Amino acid sequence: MIMLYGSQQDYDAMAGRPGGKPPMSAEQVAAMHAHMESVHKELAESGELVDGRGLTAPVHARRVQLRHGAPVVTDGPYPETQEVLAGFTVVDCASFDRATQIAARFVNPDADGEYVDVRPVAEGIEDLDG
Amino acid sequence: MPGDAVEDLLRRLAPQVLGALVRRYGHFDTAEDATQEALLAAATRWPVDGRPDDPKAWLITVASRRLTDLLRTERARRRREDTVARRLPPDRWLAPAADSAPPDADDTLILLFLCCHPSLPPAGQIALTLRAVGGLSTAEVARAFLVPEATMTRRITRAKQRIRGSGLPFAPPVGADRAARLDAVLHVLYLIFNEGYASTSGPQLHRADLCGEAIRLARMLHELTDDPEAAGLLALMLLTDARTPARTGPGGELVPMAEQDRGRWRGEQIAEGVALVSRVLPHGAVGPYQLQAAVAALHDEAPSMDATDWPQIVALYELLLEVADNPVVRLNHAVAVAMARGPHAGLDLLDGLAADRRIAQDARLPAARAHLLELAGEPEAARQAYLAAAGRSMNLPQQRYLHSRAARLR
Repeated sequence: MIMLYGSQQDYDAMAGRPGGKPPMSAEQVAAMHAHMESVHKELAESGELVDGRGLTAPVHARRVQLRHGAPVVTDGPYPETQEVLAGFTVVDCASFDRATQIAARFVNPDADGEYVDVRPVAEGIEDLDG
Repeated sequence: MPGDAVEDLLRRLAPQVLGALVRRYGHFDTAEDATQEALLAAATRWPVDGRPDDPKAWLITVASRRLTDLLRTERARRRREDTVARRLPPDRWLAPAADSAPPDADDTLILLFLCCHPSLPPAGQIALTLRAVGGLSTAEVARAFLVPEATMTRRITRAKQRIRGSGLPFAPPVGADRAARLDAVLHVLYLIFNEGYASTSGPQLHRADLCGEAIRLARMLHELTDDPEAAGLLALMLLTDARTPARTGPGGELVPMAEQDRGRWRGEQIAEGVALVSRVLPHGAVGPYQLQAAVAALHDEAPSMDATDWPQIVALYELLLEVADNPVVRLNHAVAVAMARGPHAGLDLLDGLAADRRIAQDARLPAARAHLLELAGEPEAARQAYLAAAGRSMNLPQQRYLHSRAARLR
């Protein structure tokens, strides 16, 4: 599973809202989508794609907690700069190294320090029982 | 024979083959597996060996054999074989006379009714319809809805089990039941179309295909029934889909209808849709799909936003409110009223909607208010409404559009 991260500020920039980061132009957003689409298409063609999803902005998140045994729903308390999961792609490929190679394509070469995480998915409960 | 032609032929024949199998033997779920395997065999062998003289008979024969194999391997082997033998009516023990016309069209329609049975949840109805009637593979259906194939397999399996558990007969529904089932069929096709039409953003594949598939199935339904709402739904899809080339700009951004280059709308599709609506509207009961198609036709035929026949659209929405009252129709009605009688008349209607909990949190309400406030010459109030709408929207292209409208008013 390849996990992509973003902050509310990143989402605002994509939505063209002036704020902490300069708003992205329509061309920049389109180029980003085109890149993601081409990577996913390649993975679909090579048969390695299992699933890929993007999540909506953190402001739409809800947090569910138990307080004194009762479930309490609040808006996700995400500070504007904190990065949260923004989307994921699940691949089924030959090796962890191949997954890492695929993951590198999801990192924006123009954004210094940007990162994604790759983590193997457990096949079943026995993987976790040790 | 080129691969595409084989594929088209197979998709057209798939529901007929499955229908024939289910009618003869029952066992919807196993028959479906057998049909898929026969289609697969045809897809790999026909391009090499050449197409058989009677492709449908070939498919039915192969699928029947496969069905027998599948049933034989199941646990209660002998009992099931007996059942199959008994279910075969005596007049089917011999090959049918060459000049007897098999009721294939009927089978496809019954299959569609079966897949869209109201006891199935909508997701199951959609998945089953696309697979059994559309002839899409589970992987294709899964990809179109961006869910893992395993999830889609479970969804389809559950739907099939439910059909088996319900003991529904493979027969055309009659009377009131038929009307209710046809409503469900129309709704499912409409959902499939919207799934393809409403999301043009992001790294999403195969969405245009979904619109095409919905139109293909609606066309089939229209040809198999003389139902005016089936014609209305097909017209609505054609008239809506006709605007696709002008709906997004070069950067993938949404272009509102007022600013679309109407020269890029697909004229042929518009002509076909308009002809359909014009034919069914004057006759019999008018339903929501026909009315929406009539609204779409007025938009598609207008040379510009200003030259649109807004009073006529208002009248159609008022009829629509009588047959299908819901907040989205009320919202559209308010916008049409604003265009016909001035923005304040529309804003008054929108204020009345704010108390409706079904739409109070929806981004469309402040977005419509923002447009009308802008028309009314209240830029600051309009800007606030655009920002409020952007904050409620979960769709990025829509957010971008709303932010850009707000920025223009600064």
